Amino acid sequence: MAAITLQGVTKRYGSVTAVQALDLAIHEGEFMVLLGPSGCGKTTTLNMIAGLEEISDGTLLFDANDVTRLPPHQREVAMVFQSYALYPNKTVAENIAFPLKLRRVPKAEIERAVAGVAEQLELTPLLQRRPNQLSGGQRQRVALGRAIVRNPSVFLMDEPLSNLDATLRLSMRSLIKRLHHRLKATFVYVTHDQAEALTLADRIAVMQGGVVQQLDTPEGIYERPANTFVASFLGSPQINLLREGLPRPSWVAEGREVIIGLRPEDVARPAAGLVTLGGRVELVSPLGSETQLEVALGSASVTLRVPKDWRVNEGETLEFGIDPARLHVFDATTERRIAP
Amino acid sequence: MARRLMLALFSALFVLYVAGPVLWLLSSSLQMESEITAVPPNWLPPHPGMHNFVAIFSAGDSAAYTNRGIAGFLPSGAANLLPSLYNSLQVGLWVAALNLLVSLTAAYAIAVIDFKGRRATLYTVLATRVIPDIALVVPLFLVIRNLGLINSIGALVVTYLAVTVPFTIFILISYFEGIPRDLYRASRIDGCGHWGALRHVYLPLSLPALVAALMFAFLTSWNEFLFALVLTQSAAAQTLPIIIAGFVMDFTTSFSFVNAAGVIAILPPVLLAVIFQRYIVSGLTAGAVKG
Ligand SMILES: Nc1ncnc2c1ncn2[C@@H]1O[C@H](COP(=O)(O)OP(=O)(O)O)[C@@H](O)[C@H]1O
Ligand SMILES: [Mg+2]
Repeated sequence: MAAITLQGVTKRYGSVTAVQALDLAIHEGEFMVLLGPSGCGKTTTLNMIAGLEEISDGTLLFDANDVTRLPPHQREVAMVFQSYALYPNKTVAENIAFPLKLRRVPKAEIERAVAGVAEQLELTPLLQRRPNQLSGGQRQRVALGRAIVRNPSVFLMDEPLSNLDATLRLSMRSLIKRLHHRLKATFVYVTHDQAEALTLADRIAVMQGGVVQQLDTPEGIYERPANTFVASFLGSPQINLLREGLPRPSWVAEGREVIIGLRPEDVARPAAGLVTLGGRVELVSPLGSETQLEVALGSASVTLRVPKDWRVNEGETLEFGIDPARLHVFDATTERRIAP
Repeated sequence: MARRLMLALFSALFVLYVAGPVLWLLSSSLQMESEITAVPPNWLPPHPGMHNFVAIFSAGDSAAYTNRGIAGFLPSGAANLLPSLYNSLQVGLWVAALNLLVSLTAAYAIAVIDFKGRRATLYTVLATRVIPDIALVVPLFLVIRNLGLINSIGALVVTYLAVTVPFTIFILISYFEGIPRDLYRASRIDGCGHWGALRHVYLPLSLPALVAALMFAFLTSWNEFLFALVLTQSAAAQTLPIIIAGFVMDFTTSFSFVNAAGVIAILPPVLLAVIFQRYIVSGLTAGAVKG
């Protein structure tokens, strides 16, 4: 059991619909990221997969088995929580051993498994401590250890890194990625951090308001956002979305109202084949390897990311080139992507 | 400085006010009858002795009873004192144990399991406590009599549970709701059913509240008077408060003897408090502040 299929899965809390008729097929061994702003229903979706929340409507399959009404302890999934959720009255070793103990695994085998996991996650010197004697990163590794010790085929993670500081987050991110490569299990990973989603995911499901807005590979989501919400949720700094001021690609029907999107990095020096635009530079923010600019474009302004050797000063007029093929076009009313 | 002095003074006064009667109880239980009636009073026993306690423990034995010099002053119900102590202990322990068992599972269900009508269940349970005991005592008497349980320990246990369970459920629910929900979720994921989650998460993390519930149930049944008076009629089931209250009805009662009985009556609760004291303070404030 490792492929997860959600068919029309809905969760209602009284009159609030947290998740609306969600269809999602997660392949065996896939790293699926649920990405979206706070309150969009990511955690609820994950909890329904885990069996922690009842499914109001719809069907949940693990491979071909209907598990919609199965209690969590019969679903054999492992989960890592944002709050770590370590048992405060148990030591690190006892926390990691707990799932095995409940499954009546022989003692010697438990000890071997715990030692192995501790070794992988560099927890060996901490095994006898209690959670309140650990740092945030250590707690998160214990929580991971408790999940992997069972060798489950499904891993659920709910914003596991959001309580860690930036450096630690990066190293934990690569730890999780390596874990996925090694375990070959199905991962469902919830985050509101687009960078995390882009680096980890095989596929990303972008959610808003309890509905999946787009399901695609990180590249597909970034290159071909399905609507303005997805376009502006991924990418930092945000995509520029303008109703006027940016050139309309020639294939857009005359008179159709559209929103044109320009990724800040999709600019170059003016050249043949590019459309040249110009405007006053209002703000220059050096970022080390690159420089971020705010450039006035008619009544609006756009954010651009340019190589630092452009050497732009505030107040100057900057001329830059845009490849019309790299512009994103959305219908002004539906805000959905339109393509030639 | 003056502030601290005043604080110390008033604290001392307060301690005296609270502890004074208890200390007098203790002191007088070690005195002869003639010594406690002396004016001015003997604050400390002039000739401390255990004779009152000896009288209590031999009151059932008629030979010893008549031989005692104090015998003439013994209350008529003295022989019932030890049996009633035993009854009180039995009732108290049953109530404490059953109260915890029932309330724990009920509180878990209401606090943790998301079932339809959980709020309504809680309010119904609490609403039973809005009716004053005095309004319940006669109907309860009739019910218990029809069940043929009058004058049995079981009648008291059942009645006291009806008093303690709603409060205990309420206290445990607010304690359980302070335990992070993710711990429950983690335990379910790790392989616990509801019993497992109760045993591995809620029990170990709510020890202070459980101890407070034990104490509360035991003390409630230990002190209870009204129901015991109505539902029991003979020494077979009567509890300590009924017997001790009966002592003061006699014209010639030895108050040193009664006070010795009082000392015995406060002993079990004090012992409980000492055993569990390190849990009590955090448990009693548990419902008040979520920490
Ligand atoms: N127990 C609950 N009762 C009522 N509403 C809830 C409950 N849990 C979540 N919700 C609502 O469901 C929506 C989705 O919540 P959640 O899945 O936690 O979002 P996310 O994890 O994406 O931040 C939110 O609007 C939230 O207010
Ligand atoms: Mg969430």
